[in-house]
Order: sequence, then C-alpha cells, then structure tokens
Amino acid sequence: MTADFAFKSLLLLPVIAFPFIYLIGRASVRLSTRNTGTQRNPAKWIALFVMLLLVMPLVIVVKQFTAQGPFSTFIGSIELKMDGVGILMSIVVVLMSLAVVLFSDHYMSHEVGEEKYYALLVCMTGMVMGMVTSTDLFNLWVWFEAMAITPYILVAFYHDRAPALEAGVKYLFQSAAGTMLVLFGIILVFMHTGSLCLGGSCAIEIPKEPALVVAGLLFITGFGVKAALVPMHTWLPDAHSQAPSGVSAILSGVVIEAALIAMIRALDMISPVFTNAGTFLIILSVGNIILGNLLALRQTQVKRMLAFSSISHMGYIVLGIGITMSYGLINGAQGSFFHIVTHALMKGLSFMIVGALMHAYGNSKGDAHAPLEISDLNGVASRFPGLAFALSIGLLSLAGIPPLAGFMSKWQIFVAGFETGNPAMIGVVIFAALNSVLSLAYYAPLINRMYRQKPTPYLAKAGRIAFSMNMVFFALGILIIVVGVMPGTWNWLTNPAAQIIQKAFWGG
Amino acid sequence: MDAIFSYLVSSTIGLPWLGSLVLVILARANEKTQHWIAFLFSLLSTICAISLISFNGPAAVIFPGGGVFGDISLMADGLGIMLSVIATGIGCISILFSTAYMKGEKQLSRYYSLMLFFIGAMVGLVLSSNLFYTFVFWEITAVCSYALISFYNDDPKAVRGGMKAFIITQLGGVGLLVGSLILYGTLHTLHIPTIMLKLTNIPPGVLSLAGFGFLIAAVAKSAQVPLHTWLPDAMEAPTPISALIHAATMVNAGVYLLARFYPAFYTVPGWKDAIIMIGAITAILSAIMAATAYDLKRVLAYSTISQLAYMVYAVGVGDIFASQFHLLSHALFKALLFLAAGAVIHSIGTRDMRLMGGLGRKMPFVRSMFIIGALGLAGIPFFNGFWSKDAILAAGFSHGPMWAYLIMLITTGITAYYTTRCVWMVFLGEPRTEIHPHPVSPVMKASLFILSIGTLTSWGMGGRLAEFFEHSLPFHHFHPLSIAERFAEVFTFPMTYGTLLVIATGMVVYLYIKRVRGVVHDFRGIIQFAENGLGFDALNAVVSQVTIYTAEALRYTQTGVLNWNIFGMLLGMIAMLGLIEMGGL
Repeated sequence: MTADFAFKSLLLLPVIAFPFIYLIGRASVRLSTRNTGTQRNPAKWIALFVMLLLVMPLVIVVKQFTAQGPFSTFIGSIELKMDGVGILMSIVVVLMSLAVVLFSDHYMSHEVGEEKYYALLVCMTGMVMGMVTSTDLFNLWVWFEAMAITPYILVAFYHDRAPALEAGVKYLFQSAAGTMLVLFGIILVFMHTGSLCLGGSCAIEIPKEPALVVAGLLFITGFGVKAALVPMHTWLPDAHSQAPSGVSAILSGVVIEAALIAMIRALDMISPVFTNAGTFLIILSVGNIILGNLLALRQTQVKRMLAFSSISHMGYIVLGIGITMSYGLINGAQGSFFHIVTHALMKGLSFMIVGALMHAYGNSKGDAHAPLEISDLNGVASRFPGLAFALSIGLLSLAGIPPLAGFMSKWQIFVAGFETGNPAMIGVVIFAALNSVLSLAYYAPLINRMYRQKPTPYLAKAGRIAFSMNMVFFALGILIIVVGVMPGTWNWLTNPAAQIIQKAFWGG
Repeated sequence: MDAIFSYLVSSTIGLPWLGSLVLVILARANEKTQHWIAFLFSLLSTICAISLISFNGPAAVIFPGGGVFGDISLMADGLGIMLSVIATGIGCISILFSTAYMKGEKQLSRYYSLMLFFIGAMVGLVLSSNLFYTFVFWEITAVCSYALISFYNDDPKAVRGGMKAFIITQLGGVGLLVGSLILYGTLHTLHIPTIMLKLTNIPPGVLSLAGFGFLIAAVAKSAQVPLHTWLPDAMEAPTPISALIHAATMVNAGVYLLARFYPAFYTVPGWKDAIIMIGAITAILSAIMAATAYDLKRVLAYSTISQLAYMVYAVGVGDIFASQFHLLSHALFKALLFLAAGAVIHSIGTRDMRLMGGLGRKMPFVRSMFIIGALGLAGIPFFNGFWSKDAILAAGFSHGPMWAYLIMLITTGITAYYTTRCVWMVFLGEPRTEIHPHPVSPVMKASLFILSIGTLTSWGMGGRLAEFFEHSLPFHHFHPLSIAERFAEVFTFPMTYGTLLVIATGMVVYLYIKRVRGVVHDFRGIIQFAENGLGFDALNAVVSQVTIYTAEALRYTQTGVLNWNIFGMLLGMIAMLGLIEMGGL
C-alpha cells in the first residue's frame, strides 16, 4: 500500500463504512427479531473491524511521515495535508475510538439504536481526521461542521431522557451560534484577502486590515464554543455528563481539542495582522483553569465533575499554545500537544470506568442510566480492586501527580511559561500550578471513597465488569504510567506538531 | 565497581518498589505472608543502603531521559546516603513493628505496599541529582503520606487529616516546582551539580525567587509555621506510619532540601534571615503547643515540629553538619518515642494521656524505652539529642542573631518541660483510670530495643559523619571533629552549662507546677488557645471556607438557561473587541 492510498483510505474508510454499519445493523435487528425473536446486532463487530482496519493505513501514514515529513493527497481537487498536527490528532482519535468501541461492546449492548451509536462513532473518527488535515478555510469549516453533527446526536442518544435531550439541544444551539460567527469570520477573510488557503501553502499577501482582527476574534469565539473556552463553555457540563460514557470519553478527549486545532489553523492564516491572538488565548486559558476547577469542587455527580475538569484541562492546553503563539517558544505548544495525548488517555480512562460502574450498578439501582453519585464510589475497591486502582491512576494523573502522564505534559507547558522570562507569564504559570493543587480537593475525595471499607448498598448487587472493558482499562492505565515514566519518548510525535504552530506564528 | 554501585543504588529504590508491586499482586495472600514479605523487602533495601556507605565520594548513575525532563540521574553523596540509610533502616524497623501492631487489620496489602512505595520514593528523593526527579519523588512521598494517613478510610478525621496533609504539602510543592522551573528556564539544565557550578550565571532576581520557592516547599514539607497544621492532624495514621513518615523521614525532606541547596542560596539577601526566623518562631510555638496537648501522639507531633525547627534554624545559621547530625539523632529517638507510644496505644486502646498514668509498673520495658527516647529528646548529656542540639546551639550562639539564640535556648527548657510531663502522665504517678493493658509482643519489644541502642550510641558516629560529608559534598564546607575534640569543645564551651541549666529548670518547673494547681488555672486562657493550635487551624478553616464559598457562588453562572449561555458567548466576544478597541492589546 502506498502512502498516498493509505492516507486516502484513512479518511474515506470511515466515511464509506458508517452508513453500512447503520444499515446492516438496522436490517439485522429487524430480521432477527422477526425470525427468531431475539435481537442480533452485528453493528459493533463491523465497527470494531473498521477501526482495526484503520490502524493499518494509520501505521503506514505515520511511517511515511516520520521518514519524509509532511505529505499531501488530493481527493478531487481538494488538497489534504498530513502534517505534525494531523498525525498527532489522527493517532489520538483512532486510539480513543478503538478503545471506546471495545469498551462499548458490553456497555451499549441491547441499547435501542446501538447501530446508530457505532455508525456515528466511526463517522466522527473520519471527520476529525479530515478536519485536521484540510488545507483551506472552507474545507476546514465543512469538515468541522460535519464532525460536529455526530456529537449532537450522540449526546442526545438516550432521547427518551429529558436531561439528555436538553443537553443535546443546548449543545446544538450554542454550536450553531458559534458556527455563524465562524462563517462571518471566513467571509471577512475572503473579502479582504481573496483567498482561503491555510498553512502558507499559497503565498498570499495579507493586508493590514482591522477587519481581519475582527475575523480573528470571530474565530476565537466561534471555534471557542466547541473548544469549551470560558465564557463559551456552558454547554459542556450537560453534554459530557448526559452522553453515553464512551461518547463522553471521545468528546472530552478528542472533540474539544479538535475544535481548538481548527481555531489555531484559522488564526494561522491571519497571524500577520492579528498578532495578539496568543495573548487572548492566554487570558482565556486562565478563565478556563480557575472556573473549571472551582465549579468541579462542589459537584455531586462524578461525570459532571469530570466534565468541569475537562474545562480546566482545556485551559492548560490553550495556555501552552498561547505561549508558543505569543513568544515563539516550542515547549509551550509541545507541552500542549503532549497534554492533548495524556488528557485523552486519562480522561478517557476515567469516563469509561465511571461508565462501567454505572453499568454495573444498573441492576441494583433499577436504572442503567442513573447518574453515578460521588457516594456511589464508597468501597468500590473491595469489590473491584483493579478498577478502583485504575480509576485512582486516572484521577491522580488528572490532578497532575508525578510520575503519571498528566504531570509530565503540564510540566512541559510550565517550562515554556518560565522560559519566556516575562514576570506576568511566570505569574500565570504559578497560578496554573496552584490550581493544580486545588484540583486535588475534588479528585482525592473520590479516591478516598473507593477505598473505604463500608460499601454502598448497591455494590453487593452490582453486576460484573466485562473482560473487554477491563482490557481497555488495563491498557489505558498502563499507558498513563509508561508515558509518565518515559515522557521523553513522545517527542517524535509532539515536536513536529509544535513546530507547525511555531512556524505558523513565528515563521520558523 | 561502577556496575556494582549502579546496581546497589537502583536496588535501594527498586527493591521496596518491587516489594510494593508483589504485595499488590498478593493482596489476597494470607496475613503472615504479607507481613514477612514486606519485612524481607525492606530489610534487603536497608542492606543495599548501608553498603552504599563504602562508596567514598560522589558517584552517579544515569538513565537517559530526554528534553525538558532531563536524564534520570542518581548521585550518592554523604547527605543522600545518610538519609537513605535512615529511610530504609527506620522503614525496616517500622515494618517489623507493624507485623505485630497491624495484626488482624483489613487491607494489609494496601498498607504495606504504600509503605514500601514510600520508602523507595524517599530514597529516590534524596539520591536524585536531577531537580525534576527530586520533585517527582517529592510528590510521590506526599501521595503515600496522604494515602497512609487516611488508611482508616471510614474515619472522617483520618480522611480529613490525609487531605489536609496532601493539599498543604502540595501547596509547598508548588514552591519547589517554581524554583526548579525558573532554574531550568535560565540555565536549561536540571542536573543539580551543574546548577551549582553555574550559579554565577543566574541573575540575582531569579536566584532569590528559586531560593524562596524552595524555602516555601521546605516549610510545608517539614511542617514549619505557618504551614505546620497538617502534621498534628496526620496523627490519625497508624502509629508505625507516624514514626516512619511523620517523624523520621518524609518531614526531613524539607530540611534536606535546604541543606542541599544551602551553597546556592546563602548569598540571597534575606534567605538565611528568613530561615532563622521561621526556625525560631516554629520551635517555640510548637513547643508551647506540645506542652498543652493531651493526645499522646499530638504531643509527639508538636515536638517533631519543634525539633525540625532546630534543624531548620541550624541551616539558617550556616551549620549544615549540625542540622544533619540532629536529623540523625531525631530520627532515632523520635521513631523510638513514636513506636513506644504505639505499643502503649496498642495495648490500652486510647491516646488520651489524661486516661493513662502509672503504666510504668504494668509495662516496664516500654517505659524504659520511652524514657531513653525522652532523655534524647530533652537533650540530657550522653544521649544523642544532647550532642546534636548542643552543636546547633553553639553554632547559633557564634553565627546567628542573639534573639534567635535565646528563643532556641528557652525552647530547650520547654522541651524538657513537656518531655517530663509526657513521661509523668503516661508512665509514672498513680493510675487515673482502670486500665488493663494487653501484653506487648516480643516483636515490638525487639524493634524498640534496636532503636534505643541507636539513641544511646549514634552520637559516636558524629566525627565519621562529618568526614564523610567533607569529602563527598564539594559545594559545602565542614569541619570534622573527632569524638575527643568534640568532647573538649562541648565541655569547655560555657554556654553548654547554661543549656543544661535551662533543661533542668524545665524539668523542675513541671514537677513544681503539678503540685500548684492554681498556676495552671491562672493561665487557663493561654492554655486553651495553645490547645486549639494558636489560631493557625482557624486560619486554615477560613481559607478553605472562602474557596468553598467562591465555588458555591460561581455555580450560579451555570444557569442552565440557553439564552444566558448564548449571551455569555456574545459577552466574551464583546469583551475581546473592547480590549482591542481600547488598544490594551
């Protein structure tokens, strides 16, 4: 398989496969219930097959990239370019989707509309990869919107539950408002430059128009909605807590980060005019860090708490990228990309374990979708010691406890902040570090509860955790530890991605 | 030679960690197996640590890392080796003690694996020569400490104590983080010896930020005022944990950090003065609190804070050797005191000293051991505490400000006072309640005995220790003295007799006050205030209440009304436009 073909199949395979997953799944359910009275749903197997199949082109693309650097392919006349950022996001999204598909095997079985779930999941994977590789503003926007359609439906997957529906609608409306702003921004850019191409691939003169600064602000606000930047974040807690846990993992670990990538790509185009973009991002990141932490502090539902923690982690990611945009130091963006990887691992792990517990409590609580309250964690370790340990790893890593992965990426971001030598920047980093301590105040009590000796009444009657789930948790847990112990081994992935940002805003 | 050395260093950290892993895997094995596996691994690592002593001079092992994280490098010099021997040795004895103390407890594998994990991390902390990994190990010890304090997870007090310890030490950890980051930002290296060599390249502002950052970290970790409040609350941990982590090892990490970086920061204006001030204030305040507490373990905890303050003070006056010498003495006699207290608590089931009294007749062996530890703590001649405390006071007298010296001198009197009070209330006098102690097991007695031998003899190593420091720490300066020279110096120095007089006064005052109840009554208010932690706990409560209140208030911003959400978005947009318009950015 040539690299070009691999690249094309990486993008097209999910797009082609997803309608089939739905149709075959739907047809099989219909036929099997009519003929045998029992439901048979092959959707998950097809989805798993597609995801596994995706790994092969991904490996080839990664090999090509590491050997020869960025390369392009054309679908029709549309150019798609696999650069450092694209590689990193593709790896993260394929890895996470694969984990989620495996996890959902048991979690989603016998849900109504299971085939819809898998079809949309696979679709979303393809769209994320398309978006991060697009080379012009118009296609970026199209891929971005296409990527965003799937989460609306997935968030409202349990559409007979009012809170889920409400969350989906809120997400949809806020995103729609954001989309309008982005569209205005694109119009402004096109009006004043007559071009839409990104990444400096076609040398165009960017006029010193103040309107372009406004376009930049529209990009920050518009994409910022989906990237959950404060004050555009208000949809996130509902959406992440109401979605099926696998979807929460993907939303939190991949989708909001992808939106940030889209924002940076768009800002890249007008960087010669809008030189303060980095400063804006740094200011926004401070808001994210503190608000996410303080709001998480008093939550009583675990998934909602994790959702707020996503807001604060988004702050760390934005902070690093902002530093690179403002000061041209590579460590900032490199740390941020590293944090995207580690955050996906640890937030994915935490959300999925919480989902597994919700599922296990399904029998004893009489409602498989009842939210997991913090008190439900009491004594979990006595029944599921491995699960409790894995969740502790995930939570401690989120809290930035060394030597786990989450600390390493934060450290790299902090290093960049100090390398600027700017007192204000150092102040921001100290603030971020103090917030990391604050976050312990909500992560640590969860761990305490799991190791209590008096369990909840539900625990004894809880179902067992499926092998496929445990396998996923084990793999992610080990990855968090390994990445943490050997942080330097990820430079090959994060460095090229960070160079893209550095080059875009500082001309290499 | 290098190969052996690198194996030894790695296994001093690796063996306890391996043991920790084994115990996690064997979580369902029978109790006895778990006790002895834990002991075996800690014993092996102790042997490794002790054999490191034979490697004279600094030597290093490096595992390649990369980029901003630096290489994982371990360096065994005098400071590091002494603290590793203390960590593994006292760890081993505490585990031996635990085999009897924790008999029949649930979730033993969690207990032992965390304890072994802690020992490994503590050794890593003192042997690491990469500032980044120093921080990593620093935080791991904090995690273990937190998890072990809240070992009895169903007890809300234990959970609260664990959280408090974790958050306060993490808060201090930010200081170390900031210090390391700023050093890296300027020098682009994290290797400690390289940093020491390049000190002249660091601008003074950066150096003082790093110095004070490290100081904050040390204050939190070594429980100095005003960040000391976590240590008394940490006494909810099982007693062997208090002996190991909260008396003999982890709390020394702060002093270690100051001692290690003394050559780098002593020129920073105000750094030494700040240390002296913190040391002196902490020493006297915590001694006063120790003198009024009624919980046996809290008395010991406050006394730990006070003794750590002596070590901090010694760093401030520039005598690193005296500080480390006292660290060694304190580790031994305080571990002895804690374990003896543990034996008492284990056999009578309470920690309240008002319910004890006259226990000496029922458990004479524990009484003798406790008294040996107490004499060391009070600084009575020929016990190890006397020598090291005297070295600190002598250094303070000749190199430090007089007011601080006087405070430290008065504190020795208060120390003698509360030590006498503690011994009296627990072991001597008439029994105050009907208590039928369970017999103390031979394993417990054995571990106490080993520590008491240490308390009686460790001072004899002073000369060797100073020599060892002298030739393995190139950036510090020491004046090694042999035993005979030290004898001569101590007993020809007039203030030694002054100190002894103060100590004797402290003891006598207690015996006198006991008779005159009225005196106690007159100071009711002050005593009440001291019992409540001199208002520092209230301060903590205020901080946490304010945080919770802010968080609660912020929840109103999450209205759940879509109109407001979209309005928020537009508000953000408008705010950014406003910033641009005003030309602020």
